[in-house]
Amino acid sequence: MSEAIELRISEDGRQRTVSATRGETLLDTAHRAGVEITATCGKRGRCRSCRCKVVSGTLPPPSVADNVQLGHEEVRERFRLACQTRLIDDTVIRPMPPKSEAGHQLLGGQAETTAMALDSGVQKLAITVEPPKSEHHQTSDIEEVMAALGDKLTTRDTRTDLLRDLPAKMRAKKGELTATLFRGKIVDIEPGDTTAQAYGMAFDIGTTSIVGSLLDLATGEQLAAVGMVNPQAPFGADLMSRIAYAQFNPKNLAQLRGKALNALNELIGQAVEKAGIEARHIYKVVVVGNTCMHHILLGIDVSYLGLAPYAPVVRDAQAIPAPDLPLKAAPSAHICTLPILAGFVGADAMACVLATGIYDSDEIRGLVDIGTNGEMVLGSKDRLIACSAPAGPAFEGAQIRHGMRGALGAIERVSIDQDVTCGVIGGEAAVGICGSGLIEACARMSDANVINASGAIKDKPGLPSAVSQRIHKGDHGQEFVLVWGSQGGKDEDITLTQGDIRQLQLAKSAIYSGVAMLMKEMGVGADDLAELLVCGGFGNYVDLPSAVRIRLLPEMPVDRITYAGNAALMGAQMATLSETELDRATELIGRIEHVALAARPDFQDLFIDGMGFGAPGPAVTEPEAVAV
Amino acid sequence: MSEPELQIPEGWEGRAPDGWEWQTLWEAVEEGDHTYSHDRVQQAIDADIDPRIILDDGLFPGFNLQGDRFSEQIIFIPEMLITARAMKAGLALIRPLLAAMAEKPLGTFVMGTVLGDMHDIGQSIVTIMLENAGFKVINLGTDVHPDRFIETAAEEEADLVGFSALLSTTVYYQKVTIEEFEKAGHRDKVHILIGGAPTTQEWANECGADGWGKDAMEAVKLARRLVAEKREAWV
Repeated sequence: MSEAIELRISEDGRQRTVSATRGETLLDTAHRAGVEITATCGKRGRCRSCRCKVVSGTLPPPSVADNVQLGHEEVRERFRLACQTRLIDDTVIRPMPPKSEAGHQLLGGQAETTAMALDSGVQKLAITVEPPKSEHHQTSDIEEVMAALGDKLTTRDTRTDLLRDLPAKMRAKKGELTATLFRGKIVDIEPGDTTAQAYGMAFDIGTTSIVGSLLDLATGEQLAAVGMVNPQAPFGADLMSRIAYAQFNPKNLAQLRGKALNALNELIGQAVEKAGIEARHIYKVVVVGNTCMHHILLGIDVSYLGLAPYAPVVRDAQAIPAPDLPLKAAPSAHICTLPILAGFVGADAMACVLATGIYDSDEIRGLVDIGTNGEMVLGSKDRLIACSAPAGPAFEGAQIRHGMRGALGAIERVSIDQDVTCGVIGGEAAVGICGSGLIEACARMSDANVINASGAIKDKPGLPSAVSQRIHKGDHGQEFVLVWGSQGGKDEDITLTQGDIRQLQLAKSAIYSGVAMLMKEMGVGADDLAELLVCGGFGNYVDLPSAVRIRLLPEMPVDRITYAGNAALMGAQMATLSETELDRATELIGRIEHVALAARPDFQDLFIDGMGFGAPGPAVTEPEAVAV
Repeated sequence: MSEPELQIPEGWEGRAPDGWEWQTLWEAVEEGDHTYSHDRVQQAIDADIDPRIILDDGLFPGFNLQGDRFSEQIIFIPEMLITARAMKAGLALIRPLLAAMAEKPLGTFVMGTVLGDMHDIGQSIVTIMLENAGFKVINLGTDVHPDRFIETAAEEEADLVGFSALLSTTVYYQKVTIEEFEKAGHRDKVHILIGGAPTTQEWANECGADGWGKDAMEAVKLARRLVAEKREAWV
């Protein structure tokens, strides 16, 4: 299957169709077709000139620049910056809409929006300081610096290492200095004027992967994006085995912590090099992650996090000077964490809440972060509830016989009619199947009646013979051949075994029943949800109709399910750029009610019910894309 | 591997009244129809069929078929649960009759999920299956402290104790609980079985258990085998 998709641009009652590739920005695609969309800032996400509205089709996930420039209310109303938004599927946009849906005039930069405050807490001040001149004058070098900072300084507490080389710095450029304050405290003093260089970094430490983003604190511009596989992975694929490794074993905990710190140091190094900045000018590093990743990074004992009632050791947001963590790659920074809701609803879930803005939604929205540990939040401005459910690593391709990560050679698309056709990442010979491929395979196998509602693979009369031949009993029980050994990139057949499907059933039911439990708790049904936001790196690639088909996501019209992209990273980016957002997280922690699934007797029935795939046979056809 | 088949009890006709049939009950248990299971067992009691025969000829065939399918992953937790519940609906009617006939349970089994672990489904399936197989089971639920296992085992003079753990962080408490049995001087009075998704035979050996149930069916087979082996008396 090709990556070719379509962008339709609707303007002045006319529509133009442009063929595009996944991952291309809206702006580049439009420009290629000769459609003028103004990009005043040079495609850097620093102005609002290229904004457009996604009027139908697949809504691409927003970037932090959308939140900075447009604010989350406009983001929710499907506005995007064309220069920052990358296509994930067929989409119809209208450039620079003169009016919003509500009908009120949207002006240029002066429009009244909910655009995010850029108040990172980092202040760089150019000052001129005269060294003490008279011995009778009872002062010191640092006191002169402090005097020049006036009331910007809220604490006289200063790190000793900043004093050590202060005398030379103060006298280097005729007393011209740049002092950097974080939350009113001196964190750096440099000779000359470096006020233009103030950067921050946001990280989402997931169980499986770590992603980071380097940001210009003054403008919100993303200067570099970096990522790697979490190097703790060899010590356990899921959270519980990671905790088990460190449980009652300080040495192992230290080892895991070292892995995380090394990863952050390495990624900061890469980002600094990509962007061509100085590492010392990174002043704020916001890290989000699930409670376990958070605790391990801070070196906090996780022994009891793995045991009921799974209580975290600390929930409040932290701010730690880099030398104390220690984070060597960003020596002037403070490492800030978002608050934690519960043992398995961590700072990453909190970041998703910030990023999607469901806390001020008038209507009820749902938020699902699909990962090894699934986290779900449901609610509106009136009430927010959250829970977590361990899906395990099946969605990452782990514990699946021919499972693999979403890399070259992974089956990601499956269709079944007279026979089976698989789409493989990179168009290569198939060597395995990734999580999204697994979901699509099960959806199509359900449609084709190869698996029944309870998940059993069964040969039945009426199946096309080429499909029927693919069902056989192997060494691992009943299996279904996706790619014959003669056609794949492996010597053996690539199959889905009955055991694989059982693993997927457990994983998807964890998510499905978690959402069902929250809906039950809120007293609403899927019909009452204005929107279901699907987050997680994984959520970018999964075919939503297939996810609904296999009952991973609740049965609701696909046009009310949207991708929120990596919302955890976006929330971390927002907290990096904005203390207002970070404080909001602290305020929200008191508002979100945690629903402990394990302690709810009615959860078990929902979980058992959630294991089924729904009746076999073709699914109800999707609604046609709305014509504009 | 061949597809599990219904094992029809040999010579069942000779043990039932003229014109009687069990086929519908076998199917009801297989398909999880607990209402029919209850009604048919009541009819069998009313027809004066020996409760032991109702159990062996009427209830077990459909149940064993599903149990074998479960072991081979042909069916999954939801189907196994509804079958177990259908079996239980019929069994509930004949259990008092068996007791009145001074039919002794196969043994007494204390069951639960270990401290720190809230997982309930697996151990409740094993509980129903052990009961169906004729054991007296005292189910302590989830998040069970080692002391409660020990106290209950002593009170009930249990033959077997089983602890389930579903998290890699809580298998630790299987070992701890066995150590506590040792400290209390009761280790040699019971057979200890462990189970749960993260457990293995190696872990069972390492933590000092007497056996490991790979799945619910295996656990029942193991319990039947172990209960025949004498342990130290409780008194």
